[in-house]
Amino acid sequence: MVKQLNQEELQKVVNSVPMLSPSASQLIQITSQADHDLMDVIDLVRTDASLTARVLKIVNSAAFGLINTITSIDRAISYLGERIIVGIAVGDSAGKLFEKELSGYESAGGDLWKHDLRTAIAAREVVTQSGVDISSELAFTAGLLHDIGKSIISDYLHGSVTDAVEMITTDEDLDYLDAEEKLVGFDHTRAGYELARAWKLPEELAEVILHHHEPINAKEEYRALVYAVHLGDNIAMMGGFGTGSDSMRYKLDPEYTHYINIGPKTLASIMLNVDIEFEKLESSFTGSGDEN
Amino acid sequence: MGQIILGVGDYGASNSPADDVKTFALGSCVSVIFLDPKTRTAGMAHVALPDSSINKAKAGEKPGYFADTAIPALLAQMAKFGCDKRGKGMVVKLCGGANVMDSNDTFQIGKRNALAIKKILWSYGMGAVAEDLGKNFSRTVSISVSAGQITLSSPGKPNWQL
Repeated sequence: MVKQLNQEELQKVVNSVPMLSPSASQLIQITSQADHDLMDVIDLVRTDASLTARVLKIVNSAAFGLINTITSIDRAISYLGERIIVGIAVGDSAGKLFEKELSGYESAGGDLWKHDLRTAIAAREVVTQSGVDISSELAFTAGLLHDIGKSIISDYLHGSVTDAVEMITTDEDLDYLDAEEKLVGFDHTRAGYELARAWKLPEELAEVILHHHEPINAKEEYRALVYAVHLGDNIAMMGGFGTGSDSMRYKLDPEYTHYINIGPKTLASIMLNVDIEFEKLESSFTGSGDEN
Repeated sequence: MGQIILGVGDYGASNSPADDVKTFALGSCVSVIFLDPKTRTAGMAHVALPDSSINKAKAGEKPGYFADTAIPALLAQMAKFGCDKRGKGMVVKLCGGANVMDSNDTFQIGKRNALAIKKILWSYGMGAVAEDLGKNFSRTVSISVSAGQITLSSPGKPNWQL
């Protein structure tokens, strides 16, 4: 049975989620600052031996097809780009959250991580191909984290899929967010926002998590970033990588055209690149941090 | 019983009655299904984008990915099972092609995929006898080769036939 949550209970669930590792948390902080330096990232990774080992293993994995083995962490990080380093650190430290089965959405274990990775890649492609003046690396990180709220409320949505789908099929004004709110009291953006605060994520990432389905409500200074993730999220679902019952069942915020310039040709090219890039990245890092 | 699972941009066919041909979670992608009653062969392509001109290399490597290259590739594959090279006598069905709710047209890739596929089918004198296209949900589709029966599923909905 579906159980309604109140604010206090939501807070309790959020507080029971393990914190991000110090490296993951600091990496997110550093890379969110507009004026940071790649050296800062390298210095931080150096202090974490297991992260260093993982990064070296991934850069030398078959997916990247390097002829010569990279043995220095500096070179590995420059080669992969900081977004991949953030991805590895987040995947290793919160893998359980990303890999868990979302029974409340009838979505298998691992689906959320794949969806998040596709969204991250797509958000970055949206930024680079549209030429919007925001950090493409930050768009990637934001894409990776945008749906963390789903793993919080999924257990509470268990058994609700038929009701949720029926609710939004009978009333076309409603989307899956409305269904979540009606069923458990909170939608996944709100639950994710609470976790973002508990994790002390930078404000722009918290804004993305809270507003990724209606970027128009985000603070003006972060709105372009939120739109990039919004489009990335939709592109991930269109490409067949949703998280079960809610896939494609959201509204596209039409105001995106004021922030991001994308036509049908560019969109096709983005979708194609997402498939190509995903294939490469999926095989090289997994959310659980297990052997690959 | 064998299952032939097709990923994005894959295509395949079978005439073995024990087989199912299946593809998961079509979002804006469209599944093109050919059934040949004469040879009892079923084929499917999982088409992602309408037009291969954006990346010829990808089209060479994965012809099923684009509408304009998928249909010739699937026909050639089915010809290996003795089907007519130009699809004569085949039953055509289409499904998938969902769209997010977008008030301007850019994001309607599902619609553009379906249209591109229909245009190419016309050029072969083929047309779909049944379709389940559009709307805003993802579909998983499976063909049982023995019965030529197509089953669709989507979370939260009872399965249905096409």
